[in-house]
Order: sequence, then structure tokens, then C-alpha cells
Amino acid sequence: MPWWYFEKEELKNTPSRKDNVEFDTERRYRREATNFIKECGNLMGLGYSTIHTAIVYLHRFYMFHSFRTFPRYVTACSCLFLAGKVEETPKKCRDIIKKASTILTSQKMMSFGEDPKEEVVTMERILLKTIKFDLQIDHPYRFLIEYAKCLKSNGNTPKEQVVQKAWNFINDSLETTLCLQWEPEIIAVSMMYLACKISKYDVVDWKGRVPDHQKWWDMFVKDMTKNILEDICHQVLDLYQNPKGKSEAPDSPPQLPPSKASLIKASPPPQKRAKLQQSPVMNPKVAVNHIPVKVSSNEYDMAKVPHPPYGYPSTSYQQPPPPAYLVQSAVPPPLPAHSNIHHKPPLPPASNYPTNNNIPPLPPSRYPAANIASNQFYQLPPTNNYSHKNNRSNHYHQPYQ
Amino acid sequence: MSQQPPQQSRQEASQPAPAQMSSGYATLEQRLKYISEYNFPFCDESAKYEKVAKIGQGTFGEVFKARSKSDNKFVAMKRVLMENEKEGFPITALREIRILQLLKHENVVNLIEICRTKANKNNKYKSIFYLVFDFCEHDLAGLLSNVNVKFSLGEIKKVMKQLLNGLFFIHSNKILHRDMKAANVLITKTGILKLADFGLARAISISKNGQPNRYTNRVVTLWYRPPELLLGDRNYGAPVDMWGAGCIMAEMWTRSPIMQGSTEQQQLTLCAQLCGSFTPDVWPGLEKLELYHKMELPQNHKRKVKERLRPYVKDPSAVDLLDQLLILNPDKRINADDALSHDFFWTDPMPSDLTKMLSQLTQSNFEFLAPPRRSNQMMHRYQQQTTSQVPPRPQDNSYQDRVY
Repeated sequence: MPWWYFEKEELKNTPSRKDNVEFDTERRYRREATNFIKECGNLMGLGYSTIHTAIVYLHRFYMFHSFRTFPRYVTACSCLFLAGKVEETPKKCRDIIKKASTILTSQKMMSFGEDPKEEVVTMERILLKTIKFDLQIDHPYRFLIEYAKCLKSNGNTPKEQVVQKAWNFINDSLETTLCLQWEPEIIAVSMMYLACKISKYDVVDWKGRVPDHQKWWDMFVKDMTKNILEDICHQVLDLYQNPKGKSEAPDSPPQLPPSKASLIKASPPPQKRAKLQQSPVMNPKVAVNHIPVKVSSNEYDMAKVPHPPYGYPSTSYQQPPPPAYLVQSAVPPPLPAHSNIHHKPPLPPASNYPTNNNIPPLPPSRYPAANIASNQFYQLPPTNNYSHKNNRSNHYHQPYQ
Repeated sequence: MSQQPPQQSRQEASQPAPAQMSSGYATLEQRLKYISEYNFPFCDESAKYEKVAKIGQGTFGEVFKARSKSDNKFVAMKRVLMENEKEGFPITALREIRILQLLKHENVVNLIEICRTKANKNNKYKSIFYLVFDFCEHDLAGLLSNVNVKFSLGEIKKVMKQLLNGLFFIHSNKILHRDMKAANVLITKTGILKLADFGLARAISISKNGQPNRYTNRVVTLWYRPPELLLGDRNYGAPVDMWGAGCIMAEMWTRSPIMQGSTEQQQLTLCAQLCGSFTPDVWPGLEKLELYHKMELPQNHKRKVKERLRPYVKDPSAVDLLDQLLILNPDKRINADDALSHDFFWTDPMPSDLTKMLSQLTQSNFEFLAPPRRSNQMMHRYQQQTTSQVPPRPQDNSYQDRVY
């Protein structure tokens, strides 16, 4: 079994880096490709599991090839094409390309060459060879649901709100390389932890608690330290910052026309940003809810940049009040009625990523509850040892220093 | 399964430098060169194996026996046919791969890896992919067509026990095989049975919002196709494989498939002649099946499973198990778990090892290489309405491989 998890050193030393693509540029490429997959997948009515699977393929792929060898949007289309088949939600290659051409500028479509379908199909073979036909991807969502069911709090925040938030964080985490660093279980725990913190949802007890358990997640993962947790949370929170570096980041390779990113820079604030400014996220009266951790901003230059007046700043965690979509909604139905928490997660709370700005909110049907059940087909009976995770005695990494 | 490479070696220094201009994307030429030179760390070249013989041919493509150049071990290589695919890598092959990666069990064929040919100008930079399996010396259809192969009762029990074990495993993993037949049951020279060919297999879905599943019912080789599929059921489950298991079990004694219909209608007639007429009494809900009114269902047939099989199968508990496997109503058909608890496997003679019997064979027995099996007398009587046809076999003898 190949090991699909990487040390941070490896994540900094990717084929793209060796190919003279700056770290920030690669990160931007990953985010652009990820957001493209999300948008294209949503527009095509694909569920979150197909989209998630496609994005994980993409991240893995670029641990072996450079972004300059394989243009990101072609790869992204291939990932979506393959994930569609793997998750039993197949879409025709032609339709994916058609949809892509409505999302991407015609200049960006140039990277698809004269015969885009042939390009995507050829790319699929390279993708398959690279990812070792490791098609089955576990997603954090189902772990999140499983874990959340056990948690008990005596506060007033409805659990559904917290789970919804955690769900959104998982969606957003796909823009980072977290899926190359940690198993989905760990990401699920971390995003739930983050959502609890932000929602002031104190977990006081949990089903299945034994005296050994210090924290609720001890029940699900071993040796999960605060350091690991918070490192993961920071990587997601960093997304919500307006990175100064972004506007300065080298654009797509020169042969390409100015990307949307640079166009938007000059244009008036996009819709989503405006919405967020209205939201009381930054209301100074909201109590500051410090996550008790030393902020280490060494990993990403982004973190050093003073944050803009929106989003969740990573240096002072302010608790955002429940988003409007939750406040307005009726009393949330109780867990574990799955179907009710699988409605469309709202747009990322503060994603300021330019290419994302024109996405209209999508109908709730995007995330049918049944999809989560489909993952359960592949649960193994206890006799089976199939899982790369079991092969490693030290299951979870040491915290990164 | 290849070992996990050490962390550092994953991006081998030997990889071609992504040679391109200092700015911009690689040109098409540069990319093609890169593709043909890149040493994919997780997908070896098929050249590491040396083809020995062709051992199978079907709609899925060709199967070869091959030898590993590094350790001389034999493998079976199944080529993924992609030539006529409009939608890239076939979804059926993806299913098969995904299912095989999941199903690691002694009685399921082991997928070692997936290989590729080098992409180069000659193949228009399109690799050919092969699924590489552990090699198994025989298939059950080949063994049964070899008159020199004689199974004792204990050996038949061993075969069936392993077959049901394999089915129990795949069904508890929520997978349907959907192509049970003697030719897809492999047996190694040491007597280990392996279920093979998951090309039609799929995961059992939990039906969504109370909607019944709509699987295709155009699965399973006709002679092994269960009555619910013949009647157009699209919300079927594990019992479809159990029917096949029953057909195969009977075949252990009759030595040829027990119901050799040449059309769906005729196959249904054969089922009714053996298992009794289709009536809502024995099968409530029968009338709701799509083809119930379209097919001609012979009336007034008594169930004759036991009496027709008894001349071949002397063991009473064997006849009883067959009787429970060959039940028209899928809900009443015995499942793999219960079948394994049946007296048949727990009374003397107990299941006995196949090694000794197989060691007397000096050559591989594959259906593909075997002469056509004659349909036997007993079953012939019931097939006189139409000429029973043994499916034609390829006449490609250029690869006759007889010695392992």
C-alpha cells in the first residue's frame, strides 16, 4: 500500500517546487483547482462524496507531478470524471468539459488543447497510474456524524448548528493539503473541535465514555494531542484570512492570460464578501474566545499578514454568532436524524477566494443524505485486515514541530 | 502487493526532470516525453511479466498466464479493454478493481497489482492496463469436463464449503458477484478455491428514500441465472449468487450444467420443470415482477429437485442442501451462512483436502482449453423441445498450455 500521508517537509518540497513553482503559487493552484472541482461538481449535481473524492485525487496527483507539467484544470476535470465513475455517479466526459467551459475563461480553456475530451481521457490514465488505482477514499463526513451523535453538552447551542459548522469546515479544509497530512477521522475530530470552540459548545459528556477518556475524541482516535488538533485547525482558519501574499502571488504562467484572481482584485467587492461584512462576525461586542494555543505562524507566511475585517482571524479567535441561515431556520431536528444535517452546507463562512465569488448558493438537494450511507457498503468485517491504517503501529503522527 | 516505499524514495531521483521552459506550462511534446519517461512509482510496467499462454477469452478481454521475471512466480494477467471506450477507463473495470482491492480473502482471487505498458509513440501514449492475479491452475468447469478428474464426496464438500465461504465473505461485504458459474470458480493446485471474475460484481446499495434499487438484470450467464432475474427483478440481492451456487453444486455430480436453456424463456421453463411451477403460493409478490405477465410460465409442474437429482447425488444431506439452494423464491433460498451450517458439511465423510486428487493431474484444466462438455443424459431428456447448445468456445489453439 502506498502511503498517502506526507510530512510537512515533503509538502514543501513537491515536484512543483522543484519545477520552480513557488510554495504560495502551488497553494493557490491547489485552491483554484479545488474550488473549480467544487463548482463544476455542484453545477453538475454531483454529491459531496464525489466532489471530495475528486479533490483528494487531485491533491495526491500533484505530490508526484508538477503543476507546470499538467495544467490544473485539465487534471481537475479528469479527477472529477474518474471520481464520478468511482462513486457511481458517472458523468459524461463531454458534459464535464462543457460545464468547465462555462466556468473557466476561454484563455484557461486553452490548456485543454484542441481536443479537450481526448486530453481529459488521456489525463485520466496518467491519474490512475499515479494514484495506484487507490480509488476508495474515506471522507471525514461520516466520521463527523458518527462522533457528533455521541456528544453531550449542557449549553444552549443546538448540536446541529455545531455539526453544520464542522461540516463546512471540512468542506473548506479541502482547499488545504490536510487530506495529505491526516486521516479523515482526525480531520473530523479536529473540525468538530473547532466548531465546538467557535460555537461555545462545551462537550461535558459523551456516550461510551470510560474513565480513561480525558477528552471526547479519545474515544475515537488515540494520542490526539492538543498540538495536533490546533495545528490542523489553524491550517483551516488560515484560509479565512485575506492573504496579502495572494495579490502579490505570481499569476498563472505567463502564457496564460490574467487569471480571474487578478481581475477580481481590481473589481468591486464581490457578492460574497459583501454578505460577510454584513454578518456580525466581527462585531466587537462579541466575546473573544481564545483557543488556548500558541499561534505558530511559521508554516504559512499568510498567517503573518494582518487580517482583514472579515473571516476568522487566526490570531484572535472571535466567536462568530450563528450564521443567518441557522438563525432563521426552524428549530433544527434532533440528531441522529441524518438527513436533516446533510442539507447543503452554506457557502464557506469567509472564503475570500476570488475564483469562488460568482457561485450562487445552491439548492439543498445537492447533498442527499443517502450518499453517506453509500460509504458503508465498504465496511469490512472484523476478519479483514484491509486498511493501510492498520499497518502502522504508530498510527498518528507526532505533532509537527 | 508491493511494499510501501520508504518516504524519501517516493519521488525518485531517477524521474525525468519536468523539462520545460523556465516559465509557462510544458509544451505538448515535453509532456509526452515526460509521460513516456516517468517511472510511476505505484504502477509497474507489464514488461516485468513474461506472457506464457492465453488461458481465457471473453467479452471482457483476454487472460494470459505469465511469469514474473523477478521471481519466476506465475500470475494471470487480465487485459483491460479500452479500445472502444468512449468514457475513458471503463466503469466496470473500476468496479472490479475497487471490489477486488476490498475483498482480501483466501477464497477470493487475489489481485496483486495493476500493470501498464509503457506509453510511447506506438501506442499513441496510451498505456494498456492489466489486472495481475495470483495464478490458479484450474477452473471448476475445466476440472468437471476432464473425465479423469473424480471428486469423492469429501472433496465435493471441500469445494462447496470453500465456495460458500467465499460467498459468505463477499456478501457480508455487501458485494454481489453476479456471475457465478463453474468457469469462474478457480482452484489452485493445492486445492484452494478462489471466486474469480468480478467484472459484473457490484455493491449492494441501501435503497434510497424507500425507492427500490434498479440494478440491471442482464447479468449472470443464462444457465446459472436465477428465476428472479429471468422475471426482470431489478431489486435483487445476495440470493442471485446462491442460486448459482446451487447450480454449481449440482454440477459437481452431473458434471455438466443442469439447466442449459438457450433463451430466457426456455431457461424459465427449465427452472419450472425442476423446481415446480411459479405460483404466488410458493413465491408471494411474484406477480409484481416486471416480466411476470410477459413470460410464459409453465403451470402444473411439481417440484422435482430431489427426485431428479437423487440418481446422481446419493448423499441425502447433499440433496437436502441442493433442495434449499434451488428454491424459486429468493427470500426463501438459503443464504451462505445457513448453508455453511448445513448438516452436509458436518456429517461423515467430512470435507477432505483436494491436494491429493489434484496432485495426480499433470496439466492445467481451464474451461477455455477444455473440449466442450457433453450435456448429460438425464438433463437431456428435459431439453428435447429445443436443441441444447453448448456455448461455442474459441478455436484458438495457438496458446495451448497444458503443463504448469
